[in-house]
Amino acid sequence: MIIGIKDGIKLVGVIIVCFCAVFVCTFFLNFYFDAIAVSGEVSIEMRPLYDAQLATAQLVCAIAGGFLSVIAVVMLVFYIKLFIDGNAKRFGLLKAMGYSSAKISLAFWVFGLAVFAGALAGLCVGYAVMPVIYDALTVDGLDIAIGFHAWLPVALVLAPTGCFCAFACGYARFALRRNAVIMLKGGSGVTRVKKVSTNAVQFLTDMRRGVLRSKKSAVFFVAFACFCFSAMVQMGLSMRDLGSVTMGVIIFIIGVVLSVVAMIMAVTTVVNGNLRNIALMRAFGYSQKERAVAVLAGYIPFAVSGFAVGTVYQYALLKIMVSVIFADIGQTLEYSFDVPIFFVTLAAFVAAYATAMFVYVRKINAVSVRSAMLQD
Amino acid sequence: MITARDVYKSYGATQVLNGVSVDVADGELAVILGASGSGKSTLLSVLSGLERADKGSVVCDGRELSSLTEKQLTEFRRRTVGFVFQQYYLLGHLSVESNVRLGADLVGNKNFRDEIAAVGLADKLKAKPSELSGGEQQRVCIARALAKQPRVLFLDEPTGALDEATGRSVLDYILKLKAERGFTAVMVTHNRNIAETADKVITVNSGLVTDVTQVALPKNAYEIGW
Ligand SMILES: Nc1ncnc2c1ncn2[C@@H]1O[C@H](COP(=O)(O)OP(=O)(O)OP(=O)(O)O)[C@@H](O)[C@H]1O
Ligand SMILES: [Mg+2]
Repeated sequence: MIIGIKDGIKLVGVIIVCFCAVFVCTFFLNFYFDAIAVSGEVSIEMRPLYDAQLATAQLVCAIAGGFLSVIAVVMLVFYIKLFIDGNAKRFGLLKAMGYSSAKISLAFWVFGLAVFAGALAGLCVGYAVMPVIYDALTVDGLDIAIGFHAWLPVALVLAPTGCFCAFACGYARFALRRNAVIMLKGGSGVTRVKKVSTNAVQFLTDMRRGVLRSKKSAVFFVAFACFCFSAMVQMGLSMRDLGSVTMGVIIFIIGVVLSVVAMIMAVTTVVNGNLRNIALMRAFGYSQKERAVAVLAGYIPFAVSGFAVGTVYQYALLKIMVSVIFADIGQTLEYSFDVPIFFVTLAAFVAAYATAMFVYVRKINAVSVRSAMLQD
Repeated sequence: MITARDVYKSYGATQVLNGVSVDVADGELAVILGASGSGKSTLLSVLSGLERADKGSVVCDGRELSSLTEKQLTEFRRRTVGFVFQQYYLLGHLSVESNVRLGADLVGNKNFRDEIAAVGLADKLKAKPSELSGGEQQRVCIARALAKQPRVLFLDEPTGALDEATGRSVLDYILKLKAERGFTAVMVTHNRNIAETADKVITVNSGLVTDVTQVALPKNAYEIGW
């Protein structure tokens, strides 16, 4: 077997994202269809609240399902690329021995297992908390019983698993189109035409750029983590003022979980991918600060941009939601940008970012020169 | 330049160095010879301040390494030592030029291109390590180490991964540059022939120095067997 089952289910990030998506979709979809079934019994007085509940369910499913599955796809791509880079020698050897890229890529179906694991767990937990959610969402005087919809497990677990398995193989096929010999030497194997800079940059600057360039996906995840944190935490907190506490809490928690996972994933891969470079810089006498700056400082602008975009995004989304969706169902709500929440979130963000950097600087400092050198 | 006395070093339960004493004079090329697993690389990393000895004293360039703080030790490596590793350890995502700047920028050496030319790679400035042959990669490592103008150069089996012709040419570069610049060098090898190019041969066996020979007339890279 080219890739072990273990490699497939190690994708904690994908598991968590799928868990969140399916968890949320399970009870909201279930609720939505149970509520639709009793629509005949809804009286005139109940109607606005009933419609609002349905709209909420739809919106949350669309956000959680749509948004999170895109994230899962991106994460999967990220993992597969990393996996191929990290095992370039192994795959180079296989190719050199005569395996075709297509044949090797078939082994990548195991990465779909992470989706299965996350989705299944999400489904189970979603069913488990369903009574509580129904209680929270219930419209007074209307009895919505929990029904079981057999197509839910199929649509939320089996179908995504199948799609992701196929996607993993397809992407791997694409990512493996590299020169076998260069892969054997541990290079990325993709030769790009790059403009040759004539002005000499300092080594530390070049190293910082090189780290960014070699781990582009990490740039995305750092920005994404900060975006998620900024957008979903602010949105979650504002939601309370808009009278939808349950939804606010869900968004808040998903935001925190997603951003923490994405951040840990990004920074861990950056640091682990550079262990030897860090050790080498240490051997040559670069100080702890220089080592940390060379590897991590390049990400700060992306983190700040992610945060800024997230703030604007959540503001726009809430504005649209308030003016379109709630207006539709005849409720008038005022929403304006919440300055205190912005500063609270910003402070939490800076504190979290500083803590993360501190932890990783410690980790970078602990990289012993010889142990890193002796790897493989 | 280097004086080590009764150096002990262990990794967990494995006792690697059992009271090693060595002396390397200024400008000398000392070769450490020994079987695989005898502790050569460990000795090299203790002498160069990459790692600390458990016990004993190592004085390198007038400084007692065991008394230095972690910060001072970093500073010491920065100012004093250069490394060439058996497995190259080039930064795969950076060009030859940038890899050499890793060393050069530490000491503000603006002539890093001359260092690359000195090892015969002037036409490969922008190449990536994966586009170079093994011998060329090792020469980049030598240029990188020398670019920081070290007072002592440590080399761990610099020709270990190379064939005879490439190995000889790399060795030749090392000897030539050493003669030109007069730094001190400590080189690990398990190839007895290479030892004939040294001023001093230190034989290590099971973590002990079993023999020290001063060589009267060191040979050059093309006079020795391989
Ligand atoms: N980090 C470590 N942890 C545990 N044992 C180690 C470690 N590094 C080295 N050793 C052990 O120390 C002994 C000496 O290692 P060292 O690398 O110094 O040998 P060497 O003489 O350089 O061998 P070679 O010629 O094969 O490179 C070996 O038995 C090795 O297993
Ligand atoms: Mg060794």
